[in-house]
Amino acid sequence: MTVAALTERVAARSAGPGAPPAAGIRSWLTTVDHKRIGILYGVAAFAFFLLGGLEALLLRLQLAQPNGHVLGAQTFNALFTMHGTTMIFLAVMPASNAFFNYLIPLLLGARDVAFPRLNALSFWIFLFGGLFLNAAWLVGAPPDAGWFGYANLTSTQFSPGLGVDFWMLGLQVLGVSSMLAGVNFIVTILNLRAPGMTLMRMPVFVWMALVVQFLSILAFPTITVAMIMLMFDRFFGTRFYDVAAGGDLHMWQHLFWIFGHPEVYILILPAMGIVSEVVPVFARKPLFGAPVVIYSGALIGFFGFGVWSHHMFAAGMGPVADAAFAVSSMLIAIPTGVKIFNWLATLWGGALRLTAAMHYALGFIALFTIGGLSGIMHASPPVDLQQTDSYFVVAHFHYVLIGGSLSGLLAGLYYWWPKITGRRLDERLGKLQFWLFFVGFNLTFFPQHYLGAIGMPRRIYTYAAEPGWAFWNLVSTVGAFVLALSFLLLLVVAVASLRAAATAGNDPWDGRTLEWRTSSPPPVENFAALPPVYGRDTFWREKHGDRHGRRPTPAPAPPPGPSHLPSPSRLPILVAVGLVVAAAGALVSAWIVVAGLGFAVLALFRFALEHHANLAHAHQDGVTGVDHRKLGMWAFLGSECMFFGTLIAVYLAYKGRSVVGPRPHEILNIPVTTVSTFDLLMSSLVMVLALAAVRRGDARQTRRWLTWTALLGLIFLGFQAFEFTSFVREGLTLQRNLFGSTFFVLTGFHGGHVTLGVVWLLTLAILSLRGRLAATDAVKVEVAGLYWHFVDIVWIAIFTLIYLIP
Amino acid sequence: MSTVLTKSDYGRATDEIYGLIAWIALGIFLIVVGLLVYALVRYRERGPGELPRQIRGHSLLEIGWTIAPALVLLVIAIPTIQTVFRTQPTVEPEGALEVTVRGHQWWWEFSYPALGIVTANELHLPLGRAAALRLEGPDVIHSFWVPQLGGKRDVIPGRLNRLTFTPEAPGEYLGQCAEFCGVSHANMRLRVIVDGAEAWQAWVRLQQAPPAADAAATEGAAVFAKSACVGCHTVRGVAAGVVGPDLTHFGSRQTLAAGLLPNTPANVLAWIQDPPAVKPGVKMPALGLSPAEARAVAGYLASLK
Amino acid sequence: MSTSDPGHGEHASVATYIKVALVLTALTAIEVGAIYIRALTPILIPTLLVLSLAKFSLVLLFFMHLRYDTRTLSVVFVGPLLIALAVFLALIALIGAGMAPA
Repeated sequence: MTVAALTERVAARSAGPGAPPAAGIRSWLTTVDHKRIGILYGVAAFAFFLLGGLEALLLRLQLAQPNGHVLGAQTFNALFTMHGTTMIFLAVMPASNAFFNYLIPLLLGARDVAFPRLNALSFWIFLFGGLFLNAAWLVGAPPDAGWFGYANLTSTQFSPGLGVDFWMLGLQVLGVSSMLAGVNFIVTILNLRAPGMTLMRMPVFVWMALVVQFLSILAFPTITVAMIMLMFDRFFGTRFYDVAAGGDLHMWQHLFWIFGHPEVYILILPAMGIVSEVVPVFARKPLFGAPVVIYSGALIGFFGFGVWSHHMFAAGMGPVADAAFAVSSMLIAIPTGVKIFNWLATLWGGALRLTAAMHYALGFIALFTIGGLSGIMHASPPVDLQQTDSYFVVAHFHYVLIGGSLSGLLAGLYYWWPKITGRRLDERLGKLQFWLFFVGFNLTFFPQHYLGAIGMPRRIYTYAAEPGWAFWNLVSTVGAFVLALSFLLLLVVAVASLRAAATAGNDPWDGRTLEWRTSSPPPVENFAALPPVYGRDTFWREKHGDRHGRRPTPAPAPPPGPSHLPSPSRLPILVAVGLVVAAAGALVSAWIVVAGLGFAVLALFRFALEHHANLAHAHQDGVTGVDHRKLGMWAFLGSECMFFGTLIAVYLAYKGRSVVGPRPHEILNIPVTTVSTFDLLMSSLVMVLALAAVRRGDARQTRRWLTWTALLGLIFLGFQAFEFTSFVREGLTLQRNLFGSTFFVLTGFHGGHVTLGVVWLLTLAILSLRGRLAATDAVKVEVAGLYWHFVDIVWIAIFTLIYLIP
Repeated sequence: MSTVLTKSDYGRATDEIYGLIAWIALGIFLIVVGLLVYALVRYRERGPGELPRQIRGHSLLEIGWTIAPALVLLVIAIPTIQTVFRTQPTVEPEGALEVTVRGHQWWWEFSYPALGIVTANELHLPLGRAAALRLEGPDVIHSFWVPQLGGKRDVIPGRLNRLTFTPEAPGEYLGQCAEFCGVSHANMRLRVIVDGAEAWQAWVRLQQAPPAADAAATEGAAVFAKSACVGCHTVRGVAAGVVGPDLTHFGSRQTLAAGLLPNTPANVLAWIQDPPAVKPGVKMPALGLSPAEARAVAGYLASLK
Repeated sequence: MSTSDPGHGEHASVATYIKVALVLTALTAIEVGAIYIRALTPILIPTLLVLSLAKFSLVLLFFMHLRYDTRTLSVVFVGPLLIALAVFLALIALIGAGMAPA
């Protein structure tokens, strides 16, 4: 069967009752259906995974022998940089997103996510961002400074050329995608649960997804700040990572790893969630200690923000910092271990069906345990100082990433394949595929523990014969090819399945959760009628009763009302195009940046107004009692606390370190800034008056107060422009010293936020002028107000910490 | 380059805790996998039948397997913290030999301020005496790692990092840069030679002496003195360049190009004629010397014992 | 739910908002004044921090309505705020020690 025909089949089956089947490429480009977006993420993730795998095979070929000649040094360095970046950002994360997208609404008993078009936007930004990053290969400038690009190797002095620029811009684009998805799924999970589904009744996979979304929106702002600082150093000559100007190279490492450590929990928690679903189904018992597994996941997420400097034990932070992070890193092992014991207890006394999915889930438990234990070794600084930056740590993270994350994702693939495609995967071939994977994986990576223990550093394109590393490198290379073969076999298994008839049925595994309660694949509206929720593992309870075998009394079916399905839109893909063109433009010409951003902004305007008059969208209330858009804005503002908190911390950490003047006390004008601060405070007052007016339905007052808010905002910007120009005249520029760099970037980004706010408010004012802002639109003004007030309180912090405190 | 068969006090302190954690890890692994395999065998579904008991949880077990790992971690944490503080002393030990280590792209500069010695890529240390290394660098981040003498420490421009240890057995120990530092990161190797008392004195005297003047190498010395070599390299009394390694006693080293090649006349010749072919990205260019000139210079360098 | 503004308990009145704005103005004036009072120098930083925290809270609780809204919103925002604060303090504490003379 051809791909096109398959698309038609899937599309036809996905169509709602009476709806025309959506077919063809165009329907995929404009889709906002979470199931299709999930499939898009999955296919793209797999394609990038194959690319990253190919890069790995080339690396292993070069390392198979001492003094290898397969690849030159620069190519090798680019390959390991791109292999890491691709696998993390373009393969594992999107694969997790594929499952989040496809399954979360189904698991919650919902029809789609809270913001379907934003969902599509996240996908297209990811896809184009990934293509942009890999376009570096095509222009002969692949990034080659490692996937965590330590400053100052990434400065223009030591990495001239476009490679690092591609990496820096590509990751920032991908960060936008993750942030949008994070907000979307937080609102979805909190607000779109079916009646009766309390938070503790949600499947564990959804809980892990919720923690991952919070991790995403809180971790990405910090790497964004790190990248902004790098970008400004490279493009505009600022001093953030300039040692001679007083910059501290630890700064990059701290900022990167404040992101990087939560990132690894973003990579592993989805797999842990999947294992928590798969094991109970194939043990025919509930997950042992489900609440404890949930709390452990939440604790891991929360404390994951307190361990980051265990990546810096060799960097010389001093014994106190080393000891503190050693202890916090060891503490995190406790909730992790608790999960493992709960999974084992789930198996205990069960009736185990060893399907291919179960093979992967069990493989996860064993292999992740190994990775976790080598992680505990790394948590001890003295031991870590031998192991870090050697093949030991390479073995560690591949055990947790492949043995952990990938095994979990593959378990999910085998488990949910029937639901998504309506077909079963061949169990026998699947188990063979698992064993090939298992053997290949261990053959590749177990010896690397030993190689690290005998002193082989990482990221070396070749090695001498003298230290005796040759034999196990060869074994590792052979293993890599076996592993590759296993993925070829996976492709075969998948294609073979798609060619067969769709006979899986709704519930091939006797599942426990709501996705098995609807057809395979589900109809476009997911459920004919919203399902009843009787507790955790609600579907199992419906079929088999509770612990005592008592079946719940069937709830009366809700009247089948018209279900509002989100309509397709071409705006998500257009916004994404504009954004990536702007990123690419940064490498070529400022005009292209302007054009790309302009296009994206125009598309964003249309995006924002596309459903403005649509009454079906007027009220988006959710389970929490809060409108989706309001809840989403609060989540976003939480992430902005990280963004501005990091920027302010950088300013304060670098305070007093400028090598040359002017210095703050010589140049900051407190009286004038006091006036502008007062101005911004008053703008917040006027904003709440605007909100009160729109709620009353008083269009004239609404318009007046909105315009006043915007005007006061413009006055603030005027003060800022005055301040900036007079500073430049007095000799303080972005490039002059650390003070200039940190001050202008911090207040500049704040000013940028104010500008966006002014544009937003003026848009609302104009809508009101045209009679298009009624009382039913109050929430839109409220959301704009929340953003505006937040920008104000950031200024309150900046005014005190930067201007007033000496 | 073993990390577990170490020959210094620093290495030993690490070995103790390394062993402790490794054995504990092995134990936990055996328990977990043992339980897993047992469950797989014992609880395999043997045909459709009644559902197994639908146990949801057990508070006592949860408490138990929360406290047990916590205790195990306590056993690991206490010696960890002790070792962290012991191996990062605030005051250098009495009589320590101070060595300044500067990591360059892609070679190691070693200088002994108290002894007036500057050398490169091969670090001689006296047996049984504390070596207090001060790590700094003029370009990017590197990492000093000689596995058999202990854990690594980064070289971070703008920062002063320290590494202190006492070698406890004579011998040669291989090391390598352990923080990715650019194209030839893989080629930034070093070796530490731990000398007994006599050998150490002899080496110090040799290094402190002026460069050897070999009559057979005067032609090479002349070519060297008028080539670009002097812009980058130091040969005491002859040239004062500071971009590349000090060559005053180059002839007494075992390797060249930061541990890449054995120091033989053929290798030195190949290096001089085309350094980037040997070491990608190296800052030393091919100098355009004629084969005869190159041979002469190679002979001169070999004579600088 | 079909109310036009879900998730609200009471609303603050316009009078309340104006009072809050006046307090904010007063606090700002005190802050700025404080830096010129020599006697306050030893406790200047804690004073400024407390005052700005007060302003921060007033805008958050009243203008942003958190005081009247459902607790969910407080959790969704304050959790991240606390994480940001912890990271902020840790960063400032960690950067700087061990710098070498140039």
